[in-house]
Amino acid sequence: MIKIPARILLVDDEEDFVEMLSLRLQEVGEKVVEAYSGQECLEKLKETDIDVVILDVKMPGMDGIETLQEIKKHYPLVEVIMLTGHGTTKTAVEGMKLGAFDYLLKPADFDDLTQKLEEARKRKDAHQERIRRAEVRLLVRRTGEI
Amino acid sequence: MEKTRILLVDDEDAFRISLGKRLATRNLGVLQAANGEQCLAVLDEEPVDVVILDVKMPGMDGIETLHHIKKRHASTEVIMLTGHATTQDGIEGIRSGAFDFLTKPVEFEHLLGKISQAHERVRRIKAEKQEAAFRAQMELQMIVTERMAALAMATGVAHEINNPLAIIQESAGWMRQILGKADLETFPRRKDFEKALGKIDGAVDRASRITRQLLEAVKSQETLVVEVDLEALAKETMGLVRHEARKRNIRITLAPQQTGAKALTDPYHLRQVLLNLLSNAIHATGPDGEIMIHLQANGTEADISVQDWGCGIPKENMEKIFEPFFSTKSASEGTGLGLYVTQKIIKKLGGLIAVESQPGRGTTFHVKLPARNIQAK
Repeated sequence: MIKIPARILLVDDEEDFVEMLSLRLQEVGEKVVEAYSGQECLEKLKETDIDVVILDVKMPGMDGIETLQEIKKHYPLVEVIMLTGHGTTKTAVEGMKLGAFDYLLKPADFDDLTQKLEEARKRKDAHQERIRRAEVRLLVRRTGEI
Repeated sequence: MEKTRILLVDDEDAFRISLGKRLATRNLGVLQAANGEQCLAVLDEEPVDVVILDVKMPGMDGIETLHHIKKRHASTEVIMLTGHATTQDGIEGIRSGAFDFLTKPVEFEHLLGKISQAHERVRRIKAEKQEAAFRAQMELQMIVTERMAALAMATGVAHEINNPLAIIQESAGWMRQILGKADLETFPRRKDFEKALGKIDGAVDRASRITRQLLEAVKSQETLVVEVDLEALAKETMGLVRHEARKRNIRITLAPQQTGAKALTDPYHLRQVLLNLLSNAIHATGPDGEIMIHLQANGTEADISVQDWGCGIPKENMEKIFEPFFSTKSASEGTGLGLYVTQKIIKKLGGLIAVESQPGRGTTFHVKLPARNIQAK
């Protein structure tokens, strides 16, 4: 099966963790961009096209939930997977209610993570495909009227 | 400072009445009794600070009366009045717990002085007891706070450890990925590396399971919502207090039985509530008393009530009983957190707690909970 690389944005204030997870994901063929805060995350989203954001719940400054809300506000099609080092799944579920695709507890099983990444990427792809088709229909209708 | 209350006990009416009148003019609350039995009867109705007790009385004599007083009203001080020929009795009185003795004829000012000293002792002992109770309560609170702090620290550590664990896992995982690649097929001792990395993976798994368990343990304050057989739960809780009840020969009954009453709630929390209420009822009931648990359920609501025929709750306390740290028990018996926590739990379960009481007659606590087919919040 041909691997379609997902464009992933890793957001976590733990630099070592971001570095190692990034290397691992790249090793399996994904394209990875790193950010170490909520603010940086939004900046990177402005600069680059991203499919899935892997977002840590607990960060100093702008926390995970706040960052999630900003992502969903400005980049509604981008999927977000929350990573929580907390025993409290409460925050993660709250995130899902605000639009996150799913969540994982840290330390996360790599296979679980890659599986969720794949599902999230597919969902974004499918939605973008529907948008393309809708735009085509719009075009046809317009030309039809002319 | 409140008036000193005294009880004059002497069979010589004239002496007693006139002494009583004189003492009353000196701002003392004066009660009187003509003999030992009357003395004890009066004390049972209205305790006093100091008893002035004649040694020689018909029927129950002074020393015997003194023994009874010390047994039933230990904090009351007794001053014995002896005649010349009976100073020996005075000394024996002191050995049996009297504060002091005076010889008749009594010098009035001297007597006043002794009463004042005796009352002082009563006050001092009461203050010491209160301080000890206060200190015991403080210690208990400190223990609770310490425990909470220790738990908070443990969970803080657990959270913190998850981060480096994640890093170790990713790093080891990456190494394994690299080793698994085709171009590293002939890497020297590749198998050994893979073995070690496998061990690291397993160990990280174990460590994260431990931290997860710790965090789960703290979380177990969360509430379940399941269908609970109230009769079974009530019987289970009755079993838990059986020993305490039997000690005081108190009978606890459950009525009516086999109603099939069920509630949609958390069995562990509900059991804690029932335990609290039963425990309170036991404390309020005297020996050889009875306590009854009632169960009732219609389609929407279940009602468990605990009824006792004990001392009841005075009107002025009725509003305060659900406040934290309100307690009529001594510090060693309770922390006063019982009803406050009970009410919080019931609220969390989506229910209500109500109380009816008549001082001297008894108290009933009602716990209302949603029954099945109704979703609890």
